[in-house]
Order: sequence, then C-alpha cells, then structure tokens
Amino acid sequence: MLGLWTAADKLLRGKWMSREDLRVGRLEVRTGVLLAVGATGGALYGAAMGLFGVMRPAHATWKQVLADAGKVPLLFLLTLAVAFPSLYAFSALADSKLRFLETLKLLLVAIAVNLVLLASFAPVTAFFTMSTTSYSFMVLLNCVFFALSGAISLAVLSRALHAVYEPPASNSTASSSAAPAKLAHDDDKRLHSREPSRSARPRRVFYAWFAIYGLVGSQMGWILRPFIGAPGLEFQLFRERQGSFFEAFFEALAKFLVGR
Amino acid sequence: MNATLERLLRSEREFAAGAGAVPVGALALALVLGGATHGLALGSFGRNAEQALYSALKLPLLLGLSTAMCVPSFYALNAVLGLHRDFTAALRGVLCAQAVVAVVLASLAPVVVFFHASGVSYRGAILIGGALFCGASLAGQWTLARHYRPLLAVNPRHAAPRAAWLALYWFVTIQLAWVLRPFVGAPGMRPSFLREHAWSNAYVALANALLGS
Repeated sequence: MLGLWTAADKLLRGKWMSREDLRVGRLEVRTGVLLAVGATGGALYGAAMGLFGVMRPAHATWKQVLADAGKVPLLFLLTLAVAFPSLYAFSALADSKLRFLETLKLLLVAIAVNLVLLASFAPVTAFFTMSTTSYSFMVLLNCVFFALSGAISLAVLSRALHAVYEPPASNSTASSSAAPAKLAHDDDKRLHSREPSRSARPRRVFYAWFAIYGLVGSQMGWILRPFIGAPGLEFQLFRERQGSFFEAFFEALAKFLVGR
Repeated sequence: MNATLERLLRSEREFAAGAGAVPVGALALALVLGGATHGLALGSFGRNAEQALYSALKLPLLLGLSTAMCVPSFYALNAVLGLHRDFTAALRGVLCAQAVVAVVLASLAPVVVFFHASGVSYRGAILIGGALFCGASLAGQWTLARHYRPLLAVNPRHAAPRAAWLALYWFVTIQLAWVLRPFVGAPGMRPSFLREHAWSNAYVALANALLGS
C-alpha cells in the first residue's frame, strides 16, 4: 500500500518522465507499476461514484460500488487496448523516438495520472453523494471531475510529447537513422536542407491520439454504463448494448433543438 | 514484418524519400494485407463471414485500382511540367503513402470491430468507417508530404502534380468505392460482392439525392 502511495506520488511529480529521458526516447518505469497505480486510483474513484447506488431511496445496493470500482479503471484500460495499435501507428508515422513499449508506457503514464487525479476527487464525490439526492447534480459533478482530471493528464501528455521531439541534450547533431536514397539531382544537400517542422509533429500526434482515444473512450463509456445508477431503476451491471454514444448525443441534441 | 512496417511508417531506409528503386513488392504486400485486415473488420458488421471475406478482398482492390488508374496521368503531368527526372522519387512518395494508408487502416481495425461489437447502428457503422478512412488518408498525406519536401525545395513546380494527384485520386476513389460497395453490409440484405446496378455514378446519385429528383 505504501509502495503504491509512493509510486502515485512519483507519478504526479513527473519523476518517471524526465525531459532528458524523453529526449532520448526512454521511460524509466515498469508497466506493471503504472497498471497497479492506475487501477487502484480508478477503483477508489469508482467506489466513491457508486456510493450514489447505496444512498438512493429505492433499489439501494452496494453492488453499484463494487461494479464502479471495476468499471472506472476498465474504461480507461480497455480503451487503450482497443486504440493502441492505431495510436502507435500515428506515433511511428510522425517518426517519434519512442518505440513500441515506450509509447505504451507514455500512454499508461497519462492514464495513471488521470486516474490518480480522479482518486484525489473521491472524498469530494463521496461527500456530495451523501449530502444530495439529486441524480442530475451527481452526473454533472462527475462530468466536471472527469473533465478536470482529463484536461490535466492531456497537458502532461502534450508536454511529454514535445520533449520527445526535442533533440537529445548531449548530442544535438544526432541524425536520423534513415538514409535517404540518392535523388536524381546533383544538389542533394539542398534537397534535404529543409527539415520538417519539429514543433508541428508532437502537435499532430497529440491531436491524432486525442481524436482516436476520445472516439473509442466515448463509446467504451457508453457500453460500460451505468456508472451512477439512476433513481427508480434496479441495479444493472451493464445496460443493453445498442446504439452508440454519438447517436444518443445527436438524438438528444435534436430533441433539444426542436424543443421536445 | 513488424520492423518493415515500422520502417514504412517512419519513411526509413528502403522507404525513405529519394529516387532509389521503388520497393514495389513490399509496398504491394503492405497494401494488400493492411487493406484486407481493415476490410475484414468493416465486413464484420452483422457477423456475416461471407460479407467480411468480400470486404477483405474489396478494400485492397479499392486502394490498388484507384492508385493504378491515377498513375498514368500523374506521369503525364510530371513529364509535361519538365519534372520527369524526379518521377521515380515522386512515385516512391505516392506508393509509400498508399501503403501507409493501408497500414494505418489495419491499425484502426480493432476500433471498427469494437464499435460493431458494441451495437452501433448500420448508419453509425457507415459513418465510423468513413471517418476512419478519411483519418487514414490524412495519415497517408503525412508520408506524401515527407517525400515531396525535398522535391519542392528544388523545384516548387512539384506542387502542381501533387495537387493534381490528390484531386484525381479522391475523385476516382469515391466513384470506385461506390461501385465496389457494400463494404459494411446492410442489415436485411444478402451478402454480395457487388450491389445490383453497381455500375452507376456516385456523383449523379449524390446530385439526385441533393436535388430530390
């Protein structure tokens, strides 16, 4: 337990993502540690989120607490499992210094930061759950905490990606391993004089990752619902699988716009 | 295999920008395998093995045939503009970009399967498939830009054939995708390699849909 606490503290302080290490495409942390920290953080927040199921007047049950303790970490980790091949492809396409395992570690660091931050909000969520009966308020509060922790972890990820594309401090003249074949022209040096913009690459990778992870994550959240447990409904581990997050969103938006 | 794909995505060694021999075999293999993987995933909607198999055959066809149809005019335009000396380098770029599109499509296959398994509607599946195809095509542009950068540095006239390639490639791909449909397989319809009346015009159908005739 103390080990997990220390690991979470190191994670938040960025000890495993030093700029020097990232510049040479290295992350000095074990995947297992990141998984353990992330899963524990997610389980803590999930338990707090599921408390609403215990407190609601009808169909009160502890099962919602247990279900959410599993579902919150699963939401993030299963999303990564589905999206990782394409996330890695976009990273390699942008000629990232991070190889396969290091890319996985970086993404796990961002997810673990997100889940540990969520866990830090767990006492607040638990307190409000015990002091309110409004389901809508709890939905909004949870959305705010997910958005806040998500935004911070995205900032951490963005900063790390920019460091990955910086030249190594010790060897700023290191060249790419790529050895372009000779062009038909005589002035090859001039041909290769324009290096692709290094600052644009991390931004592009970040946006691609954000789009793919966001797309899969939204749908994963949709199929893992309910997380809070609406009053008046009996406990369900999962709702019936149909439609998608986006269809439900646009349907709700259309209803709102036509005033129904 | 993994190392080759990684070199392709990173435009390294045999896939680097330049005028060396075009590694046609490796690029064709990546295009066929990548396209087939994504095709299998697209055809998995409705859990029909026959449709999945058809889509796995059709997606490499879509990528390969659209490229093959556009290369002659690409060469002609390069020649007319006096850029024929750089044609091998430009062709390397175009073919590497197409192979990258296929590899990125393959890497997106788990996302497609996940959405199909999570109960998305037919219309949702079509939209997701279309959006991911656009995303993979943009990834291909990344590779094309990397190959064209040294060419443009020497002669800015290269911008014209590159723009023409993009315009023609999209024009042809949209029509070819229309002819080769269905890729997802509509519920209630028999699995088929091509739809009845496949040889119609996507642009005329779009105009009719918009104008209501």
